[in-house]
Amino acid sequence: MSEIDIHHLGAAYALDALDARERAAFEAHYHECDICRDDVIQFRETLADIAGSAAVEPPASVKDRVMAEVARTRQLSPLLPEGVIDLAERRRRRRRFLAPALTAAAAAIVVVGASIIVTRDSQPAYADELAAVLAQPDGQIVTLADTRAGAEDGSFKVAWSATEGRLVLLGDALSVAPNDHAYELWLIDESGAHATYILDSASDGDVRAAIDLASQPTAWGITIEPEAGSPTPTGDVIFLGEV
Amino acid sequence: MRDVGAVRLWRDRAATSSASSGGNTLADLLVRAGRGDASAFAELYDELAGLVHGVVIKVVRDPAQSEEVTQEVFVELWRLAARYDESLGTVKAWATTVAHRRAVDRVRSEQSTRDRHDREIRNVVIDYDEVSESVETRFDTARVRRAMDRLSPIQRESVDLAYYGGHTYREVAVLIGVAEGTVKTRIRDGLIRLRDELGGSQ
Repeated sequence: MSEIDIHHLGAAYALDALDARERAAFEAHYHECDICRDDVIQFRETLADIAGSAAVEPPASVKDRVMAEVARTRQLSPLLPEGVIDLAERRRRRRRFLAPALTAAAAAIVVVGASIIVTRDSQPAYADELAAVLAQPDGQIVTLADTRAGAEDGSFKVAWSATEGRLVLLGDALSVAPNDHAYELWLIDESGAHATYILDSASDGDVRAAIDLASQPTAWGITIEPEAGSPTPTGDVIFLGEV
Repeated sequence: MRDVGAVRLWRDRAATSSASSGGNTLADLLVRAGRGDASAFAELYDELAGLVHGVVIKVVRDPAQSEEVTQEVFVELWRLAARYDESLGTVKAWATTVAHRRAVDRVRSEQSTRDRHDREIRNVVIDYDEVSESVETRFDTARVRRAMDRLSPIQRESVDLAYYGGHTYREVAVLIGVAEGTVKTRIRDGLIRLRDELGGSQ
């Protein structure tokens, strides 16, 4: 997708009229493009004005159900401003997580994915990676389905391109993993499930990673594992997306 | 944070157009809700329920399913309350965005599990007139109707099919039998015109 194309997707984006692939590409772009961001902000106000002129009150029972649900629903923490996160602490934590995990994964014969570039302190890097992956003719993106019955807890998307040899993992609005546990991404191919991205507790609700891709997936899965990582899945597969 | 340009514009609009019960603005209520204040959230619900449900029901159509989606939208707003960022738009715009996205996700996931050929395409085209009519029965429609009337019929058709039909612009192109680029342009020109009309008459 060329740069010129992407600048013209703001209106269709505001209308939710992009397919998943274009939506992801535009989202990666517009956070860094003042013109597109202003366009989207203004179009959304316009649509809210139009929607406001056609309000329809729901039955009172809906409010009762909402408030009952609210009473038992945990709220996500606010996003921290950039720079507030203690980078040294983050690095220390990552090293601690990563070392045993990689050793364990190597022992299990196949290691898919070595370099990990993560999260808020490298947001632009991830956005560029996503745009690069989706710009390839074989660039794909899948939304992983939540496999827990009735669960309503965040979302995972994986974008990847064999040509680019990279995958980008986007987790949003997730619950924080239980103590000493973290989300783990598995690339599933004909030879089995391979630990691909290890260890993000989603303490800020989000998971962002760009990782080398070493094999063609037939499916992607997410489990929650002990924070040291597991060479093979031990937790239930909570998100699954087939290619 | 310093108010500049578009940020100030939207903040001013939030302050003037979103005043609510007890002198609280919607943004105030949302901030309190973000700290876990359920009674503030209940007030916010009262202010936004018509807006949210109006969007949802026009996209989803089925009343029972629409109620479910409206419920999901408000639980989502509750979960995300602390993450609302005033510099990215008013509370109403945020709620509308969440509502529309949810509604579209619902109809698309239904569609993908169903055969969707000629029969449905005909239904969609018929439904779209119905939507335009229901819009006009509500209060405060004069300004919006004037703005809508400024759209060319082909712009309006493309915007309606995308927004209320829940179709991607590529699908709209198939529905009305024109090139994708043409639909993209109509949607863009149509929204710019609506924005200019509605913004100008504030």
